[in-house]
Amino acid sequence: MARTSKGLELEGTVLECLRNATFKVELQNGHHVLAHISGKIRKNYIRILPYDRVLVELSPYDLTRGRILYRYRN
Amino acid sequence: MNTVTITRTAQDRWEAVADDRIVGDGDVSRRPDGRTFISVDVWQDAVFEQLAAAMLADLCAPLHTVVGAADHELRSRWERLGFTAARREWEYVLPTDPQATGLGAPALPPGVTILPAGTADEVPLRRLDRVIREEVEATVGWRTMPAEVLPCPAGPPPVDPAKYAVAVRGGRYAGLVRVAPVRRRARIGLLAVRADQRRHGIGRALLAHALGALHRDGIDSAWAEVDASNTAAIELAEAAGARRSSGYLELARP
Repeated sequence: MARTSKGLELEGTVLECLRNATFKVELQNGHHVLAHISGKIRKNYIRILPYDRVLVELSPYDLTRGRILYRYRN
Repeated sequence: MNTVTITRTAQDRWEAVADDRIVGDGDVSRRPDGRTFISVDVWQDAVFEQLAAAMLADLCAPLHTVVGAADHELRSRWERLGFTAARREWEYVLPTDPQATGLGAPALPPGVTILPAGTADEVPLRRLDRVIREEVEATVGWRTMPAEVLPCPAGPPPVDPAKYAVAVRGGRYAGLVRVAPVRRRARIGLLAVRADQRRHGIGRALLAHALGALHRDGIDSAWAEVDASNTAAIELAEAAGARRSSGYLELARP
C-alpha cells in the first residue's frame, strides 16, 4: 500500500487574530503563515488568542498557509 | 488532482487521499450531552463535499457541527448537505474601565454583599454551583449553554473559590461569577444567579464587581460567550459596554 504523507507540522506563536477565524502565526523557524483553525478546534470551542503557542499543519499546496491543529497550555 | 479515495481510518476518523497525499480529514466526537459533532478539514475545496458525504453515510442522525458566525462559505457547504442553523453563540468583549462600562462604584442591591474571589467558603459555594446547574438542567437545558459550562461525564468540575466572586443575600449564597485571567485579557466563564434570587440586580452587581477587580489589576478587557437566545444576558453585557467580536453557529442535520 502506498504511504500517504501529511502536511508539515510546526509549532508557532499566534501574533494576531485576523478576520474570519484566521490568524497570523510566527513559526519557530521565524516564518510567518496565515492559519485558520481546524474543525476539531472549532468543534470544541477552543479559543485562540495572541501569544498562544500552537501546532500548525502547513498546506501542502501553499507553505504560507496552514491550519491550527492544537493550542498548547501556556 | 487525481481520484480521491476516502477511508474510515478509525471509529472517529476519516481521511481523503489523492496522489498519496492526505488532502482532507474528518472527525466525529460525542459531547457530554449525547450529541454527535462532526468536522471536516480539507486542503482542496472540491474534497469537502465528498468527504463529508462519506461521513454522513457512515453516521447516524442527528448530527451537529460548528462554524464561525462569519464563515458563510463553510456554512453554505454544510447547508448543501442538509444542515440547518440550530444555535448561535456570540462572543462579547467587555471593557473593564468603569468610565466605559458605566458600572463605577455601583450601589449594591439592598441586603446584598459581594464576597471577592478567594474569600467564599467552599462548601456553600459548591452547593450554589450545584443548584445553578440543576436549575439549568430543569429549564433551558445545557444545549443553550456556551460549550465550556457543559457538564462533565465524571460529574461537576471542581469549584475553586479563588476563581469565584459570590453574591450573598439574606445570608445565602445567591449568585456567582467565575473569572479566569488570560494575560492582559480575562474570560468571564460563568455568571449566574439562583432562579429565586433574580430580578434584584445581583447579576449586574456581580458583573460590576468582576470588571472593577480586573481594572484594578491592570486588565483592560474581558470576554464572555453568550447564547444568542439569552436576551437577559445580552442586555446585561451590552449595557456594560460590551461589543460583539465574533461568534459560533451550531448547525444540525436531523
